[in-house]
Amino acid sequence: MSKLSIDPGSSVTNLTGSWRTQTPVMKNKWPPCGQTCPASEDIQAWLALASESQWQAAWRKLTARNPLPAVMGRVCYHPCESACNRKHLDSAVNIHAMEYFLGEMALANGWQHQKLNDNENNATGGKKIAVVGAGPAGLSCAYQLALRGYAVTIFDAAEEAGGTLWSGIPEYRLPKNILKQEIEAILKLGVTLVLNCTIGDIHGNAPHPHKRISTESLITDYDAIFLGIGALKPRLFQNSQYTDQHVLTGMDFLRRVNQGEELSLPKRVAVIGGGNTAIDVARCLRRLDCDVTVVCAQDPHGAHLAHPGAEIPASELEVTQAQREGVEIIYRTAVSRLVYSGKHLNGVETCRVDKIHDRHGNFNPVLFEGTETFIAANLVIFAIGQEVDWCGLERLIDSGLSKVFIGGDAAGNPRFAATAIGSGFENAMSIIDYLSGQKPYFDTHKKAEVTYKNLNLSYYAQSHRQTENAGEKENSGFVDTISLNESTACKEALRCLSCGVCFYCDNCWHFCPDAAIIKQADNYTIDYDFCKGCGICAQECPCGYIDMHTVLHE
Amino acid sequence: MDRRDRFRHNILTSGHSACSGCGEAMASRMVTDLIGPDAIYIGATGCLQVFSSHNQRSAWQAPWMHSVFSNAAAVAAGVEASLQARGKKIPVVVQAGDGGTFDIGLQCLSGMIERGHNVLFVCYDNEAYMNTGVQRSGSTPHAVRTSTSPPGRVSEGKHHVKKDLISIIAAHHMPYAATATVAYFPDLKAKVEKALSIDGPKFLQILSPCPLGWNHDAALSVQVSRLAVETGLFPLVELEHGEVSRVMRLSTQKPVEDYLKLQGRFLHLFNDKQGKTQIRHIQALADTRIRRYGLLDADTNWTSASASIVQRGGRGTYLPVVPAGMSDHNAKAQG
Repeated sequence: MSKLSIDPGSSVTNLTGSWRTQTPVMKNKWPPCGQTCPASEDIQAWLALASESQWQAAWRKLTARNPLPAVMGRVCYHPCESACNRKHLDSAVNIHAMEYFLGEMALANGWQHQKLNDNENNATGGKKIAVVGAGPAGLSCAYQLALRGYAVTIFDAAEEAGGTLWSGIPEYRLPKNILKQEIEAILKLGVTLVLNCTIGDIHGNAPHPHKRISTESLITDYDAIFLGIGALKPRLFQNSQYTDQHVLTGMDFLRRVNQGEELSLPKRVAVIGGGNTAIDVARCLRRLDCDVTVVCAQDPHGAHLAHPGAEIPASELEVTQAQREGVEIIYRTAVSRLVYSGKHLNGVETCRVDKIHDRHGNFNPVLFEGTETFIAANLVIFAIGQEVDWCGLERLIDSGLSKVFIGGDAAGNPRFAATAIGSGFENAMSIIDYLSGQKPYFDTHKKAEVTYKNLNLSYYAQSHRQTENAGEKENSGFVDTISLNESTACKEALRCLSCGVCFYCDNCWHFCPDAAIIKQADNYTIDYDFCKGCGICAQECPCGYIDMHTVLHE
Repeated sequence: MDRRDRFRHNILTSGHSACSGCGEAMASRMVTDLIGPDAIYIGATGCLQVFSSHNQRSAWQAPWMHSVFSNAAAVAAGVEASLQARGKKIPVVVQAGDGGTFDIGLQCLSGMIERGHNVLFVCYDNEAYMNTGVQRSGSTPHAVRTSTSPPGRVSEGKHHVKKDLISIIAAHHMPYAATATVAYFPDLKAKVEKALSIDGPKFLQILSPCPLGWNHDAALSVQVSRLAVETGLFPLVELEHGEVSRVMRLSTQKPVEDYLKLQGRFLHLFNDKQGKTQIRHIQALADTRIRRYGLLDADTNWTSASASIVQRGGRGTYLPVVPAGMSDHNAKAQG
């Protein structure tokens, strides 16, 4: 080197991070689908695995929170899809059909659940847990506990497990063998199932053969008790005589149809109520060749964007499908009385509804006088809600026993199967906390908003929802659901925008002008010594994984 | 040497003193990391040279030399000739700004091309003399505010239109000349790789937004360059031996206002009636470029939408820093 030349130093001694007035922070967030999911499924995570055709891994991720994907893929009202940010780009990801597909695939391939802690002498200390009710809440709770090595016994009064999934959901929406297979997979974890068994101190006409276990023995024999008894007591219409011939409750009707009872039904039937039970009843009746009129106090979907409470509570898809099947729905109308001639029911007298809710916000329709209309029907089925029946279980709930946990519909949750599954999970975690004194480890996510405004949509291709029509097919006038196949499922999973969760697209790394983003084998780090805080990484991150904070120093 | 990143060489590494959000630093980092450390880089005077090599500290981690404003192409020609005399085949790359290409360095560039030197000339086009204080250059578009073309009662910014340099270059019967921008990395990568595969002179014009001179938010550099393409104001084209061989089709044409309103250098156009006329003029310029290159109806699947799509595992990588087999992520991404 000549004397005139200069040996240059490296610019890395110049720490340009001191220029920064805002700081990029990388953080995975909880996408809106998972936030909205009543069962808190990590939907984005299992869609990501599915997009790489890792079907079994996706199923395992999904079943970490929901042990019944094939069931829920059929009956869930998928609030996740209403929250999906993709709908601002073209249409929401078909999460419901993906769940259905993964559930079906698991059944077809016989995938089994795996226990989380494999050491037999684990911390469960031989603790025993009783789960009362084999509905979605009880099954979910038992499943989570069994996964973690606890000994669980489920009791149910019915002759089949599944609770309302078995007795309240018609075969066309949920084939019984699918439900059975998924329950069997849970039982294979070592869960004991006791059917035809009532818990309680009093009770009269128990069907035969029937076991009865007193609450006292339950309290002494088990270290913790989970009550997932559902809400099975139907609300009744004032002064009506519920006889088999003329007046039924929706619950009763569905249970009997599900048991395979041959009902002799008249041609014209009125169904009262606007919930999913009412629509299930109406669609069942159509399949039994009746003319059905649904009388619903609320307005149609979309009529009250600001107050969705005033809209028919049944899911929009169910309502549309029911109408396509020939169910007539009369909105904003309520029954004022039943019209008999002698002992024979002629129909119902209905009135227009003025106010749906009273000033406390309770459902309490006020009718307009002089708007009476007659609807001919020889059978009326009331599906106007259910209540929790605590009869016989007072000892468990009144005594303030710390070992009793309540979940599902019985805990006053919204009456959805997915909510019950979520509640079962939460209760299982509380039970473990109670029994072991330690908070169990599970993936938790802080709530954070990732709206479509946080996304950079220019990096996503337009691609249309797979199975916009293939998700259902008309079968001699009735709508059936059919499944995706591997290639369409993969395409659908690829449509996920991965809101708030990094998917290693390299954008931040490519675009950083200052070499301040360092790529690692499976993530990126920001070198704050050099980051000048321009904000390009946050602006160009497609999924909202990077935020700019105005804090100067980390 | 700075080897913080296993997956790219960082030939232009941290600690350089470019402004926050510099489009030229971003573009140069992409181009040089695609070419790799086994090349000789010649930097004409300009922003890139100033911010990467001052106070006796160099941000370059590859052989790099500084030429004066006008003669970068001539220096490169000399380097290439001496390499050839020694029988070495090493890429020679000139990096210059638009001042060193469109105006001051054009004569030497023309001569280098005419003599057929095997040199890649990369022009980072930020549309004015930014490093000396935003003076107008031959590349500055019509109606832009610069310090030497201030808008006022008698002027609406720069009166003249942007020099059509790519056509001048192509008229040399040039083996390969292309335009690119930072917003479309897969496109830029394909063009750099194509250029490197060609023996002879080749030219890349890369639109590099300048937050300081264009007066936009530092975070919007990529967004602005994307809009320059999507409005049709900066067509992405490839020319081989003077003929247009490939263009990037626009999936949709956006109005020029989308591009103009993000930038302070066009702000005066939104204030008065005269400005509205100028916006219509700029729209007409965009429409003309779109028609000329057939940007809306070109027979190609390569569109502004398909070049944007991100995917899990990235949109292409640089030359590996570690030998093959050791970079497990690359292997995973490819497998």
